[in-house]
Amino acid sequence: MALIYFFSWWYTRGWGFFLKQMSEKLQHILDAFSIPNLLKTLFHPFRQISANERGRTIDAKIYVFFDKLVSRLVGFFARFFLIIAGIICIVIAAVFFLVLCILWPFLPLAPIAGIILTISGFTL
Amino acid sequence: MNSYNYHTSRARRARLGKVLGHKAVYAFFYIFALLFLAAGTYLLIQKSPLAWLCFGLAIFFVLPPYWIRHDLVELPKNKTDSLENRLSRELLVRLPKNPDTKAILTESLECQSAIFLENRYGIVAPLIDILVPASEIKPEDLFTKASEIATSLNLPEVDGGTVIVASIELTPNYEKILKSLKLDLPALYGGISWYYYLVNLTKNYRKYKNTGGIARDLSFGYANLLSRFAENISQKYVGNYSPSLNIASHKDNVKQMIDIFSGKGRQNVALIGANGSGRSNIVENFASEILNSKTSEKLRFRQIFRLDAAALVASASGRGQIEGLMNEIFNEVYAAKNIILWLDNAEIFFEDQTGAIDISNLLIPILENGAIRIILTIDEQHFLEASSKNPRFTNSINRIMVQAANHDETIAVLQDQSPYFEYKSQHAIITYWALEEAYRLGSKYIKDLVMPGQALTLLEMAVNYAEEGFVTDKSVQQAVEKNFGIKMQSTQSATDKKKLLDLESELHKRLIGQDSAVKAVSDSLRRSAAGVRNQNRPIGTFIFLGPTGVGKTELAKALSETYFNGEQNVIRIDLNEYVKEEDVSRLIADASEYDMSLTAQISKQPFAVVLLDEIEKAHPKVLTALLQLLDEGILRDTKNHEVSFRDAIIIATSNAGANQIRDYLSSGKKLDEVKDILVEQLIHDGEFKPEFLNRFDEICVFEPLEKDDLMKIIDLIIASVNDNLSSQKITINVDNDAKALLVEKGYDPKLGARPMRRIVQKTVENIIAKRVLAGDVSSGAEIQISKQDIIDQLEK
Repeated sequence: MALIYFFSWWYTRGWGFFLKQMSEKLQHILDAFSIPNLLKTLFHPFRQISANERGRTIDAKIYVFFDKLVSRLVGFFARFFLIIAGIICIVIAAVFFLVLCILWPFLPLAPIAGIILTISGFTL
Repeated sequence: MNSYNYHTSRARRARLGKVLGHKAVYAFFYIFALLFLAAGTYLLIQKSPLAWLCFGLAIFFVLPPYWIRHDLVELPKNKTDSLENRLSRELLVRLPKNPDTKAILTESLECQSAIFLENRYGIVAPLIDILVPASEIKPEDLFTKASEIATSLNLPEVDGGTVIVASIELTPNYEKILKSLKLDLPALYGGISWYYYLVNLTKNYRKYKNTGGIARDLSFGYANLLSRFAENISQKYVGNYSPSLNIASHKDNVKQMIDIFSGKGRQNVALIGANGSGRSNIVENFASEILNSKTSEKLRFRQIFRLDAAALVASASGRGQIEGLMNEIFNEVYAAKNIILWLDNAEIFFEDQTGAIDISNLLIPILENGAIRIILTIDEQHFLEASSKNPRFTNSINRIMVQAANHDETIAVLQDQSPYFEYKSQHAIITYWALEEAYRLGSKYIKDLVMPGQALTLLEMAVNYAEEGFVTDKSVQQAVEKNFGIKMQSTQSATDKKKLLDLESELHKRLIGQDSAVKAVSDSLRRSAAGVRNQNRPIGTFIFLGPTGVGKTELAKALSETYFNGEQNVIRIDLNEYVKEEDVSRLIADASEYDMSLTAQISKQPFAVVLLDEIEKAHPKVLTALLQLLDEGILRDTKNHEVSFRDAIIIATSNAGANQIRDYLSSGKKLDEVKDILVEQLIHDGEFKPEFLNRFDEICVFEPLEKDDLMKIIDLIIASVNDNLSSQKITINVDNDAKALLVEKGYDPKLGARPMRRIVQKTVENIIAKRVLAGDVSSGAEIQISKQDIIDQLEK
């Protein structure tokens, strides 16, 4: 009886549940890297570290301009590498989840596959 | 159809889950999976084809725990509306085949939700066994009712607690049963909701929230100085639970804040409301709400910092330094771009006194130009004061008024906070009655706060007075007694039916005569105890008119002893000390100004007889001040705190018209007639205004004492002397002619029976004292006192 319940769940509700669970996990990873936000703020100063806009002299304005430019550059590189790292993580996670979803119906049959391979005498 | 089918898939899976859903079973599968994995790896190295069988089995053994957890234990629902789909897993596991109502109730009582109701609402198993006629309720009807309750409360399932409440609702005259437990049906419904609230709290606590991730703070600046003096409220709710919000108007306040901070106008808000109204909770909810990307994309990365103003003021040596620090903090907030600065108790920044500093000159321009986002929380009084000092302030800020919570909202807030208080109290269980009592007493005795703060403060104190692991209404009463020095009276003993039914004879144990006044007072108090009285007035209000020494004060003391279990519960105010207009403020002074004022004394001892002696001598303004007390049972003290007299008996005494009473009675008029004539005359003579006399429940006229009454009074006085001598085992007997002599010598028409105690002291007590000291009397002796003894003693 337990086995019937197990198999009937595995090939119906279980599969759907697994897909939902994986998509939630993927959502968390997307949120953790928040790539759209990193893209939106790609050229913003890094943690707003830059001189305050005080004074109206040309010297002061040039100082502020270059200070901000450096901060923006630092910000750009920090965010750029985070975007790359994020994309790699997301792709790896997505592929892993996809493979698991495809393999899902075959997992309970793993012992049968094992028996077939054993009988066939396959070795590495 | 709401009949239970034992053989449905969900019911079977629930039972299977009970068998398999154990850690030992999970461990069994995982250990085998590991063993097969290890064996497979070894065989693979050994180039044996058996390795594949081992790997296959290792994979297979990993799968069942996943299935057990997510299908059998979580037991998801399908889309049908069958009974089995609505029943909770716990109930499905317990229900037998073809259960009758008794079996359903027995199993339901074992469920967690029913145990919750048992602990917090006293719905215990024996009560259900005795009261619910299980044989008369069909199982189908029981499940139908339980389903209706679950639907009405928007519950995810029908569980044991819901079934128990349904069974009570199907019991004839259930209201009577619940009333005996000081409960009603809405309270029980509230109990089920309370249980599910706690269940959801535990579930959601572990639920991950998508709140921004790495990019969240990368674009925004550091705020090092601010971090020294402020707490990041938003950080508390990142990827974590949300604070709850049960007050409807406060939900609107949060929406208003979201609109203001997402809009294009000045992004600042002053939350104006009394202390305890939940202003901080609104800000915390706002902080949590904006983390949710669905609320507002614009606000998603805003962080709320609560400035610890006290620490800031304490760390600086003077105004200049504080202004400098604040300036730097404002600069940091401006540069960081994502900070909303929360100035809690903002009055600190608008007044110059100990622990506060007026920086309005710095703050108002910032609010006006809208350069940085600010939330102020402040009470209305301080807001008005700040506005009157700086009219620009009012126009520079968006105002949101925070309303106090009503009864139901307060109870919901208390239920909400109960896990926190229970945790703090080392897991005492807070009962429903404790919540209701915290609301009732909080509104009466916690000053300077409003709901829900009043009730929360009291409940937090009450958990320290838990009895046998339960926080009950008595714990709350004890908290009031111990923390505020207010003596609480057990309502049960105060309204003890037998005592009230025999109130006249109880009072006559120490008061002789005055049958008419005693009856009037007793009738009034019985009406009050039976619930006929208006709860928004004192228990009883009486004015006693009559000559001195006829028992007016004695009746007040006797009432206190009988009704409040002790003569010490009399608050006596001699109104001949309140003869000037300015004395009103002394009468209603706050305890910190004058602790013997009427309001201060009643605040400490709300269950008392308030004896307002010689009321005719008080200044008319004093009497006017007392009108509200008599009418509504409250007075406002000099600090505008509301002081309740609703648990007190008010007795005013007056000698006004004493001579007329004597004259009318001696002319043969009856007491009732005398009362009417006297009242007319007192009003006519301007002694009292009609609106003052009309405020009293009863006007009682005390008649002069007769000779028979005086003989009884002598008996009472001698009985009290015997009482004093009882420790020495000495008894005295006074001859009747000796008593008559004592009455003759002791009675004074002007002073009534008052000198009689003195004459007994002078004669009887002196005679005994001399005999005891001379050694004429030994323990166990009986002393006979004759008329001659009294004469001899008086002549000495």
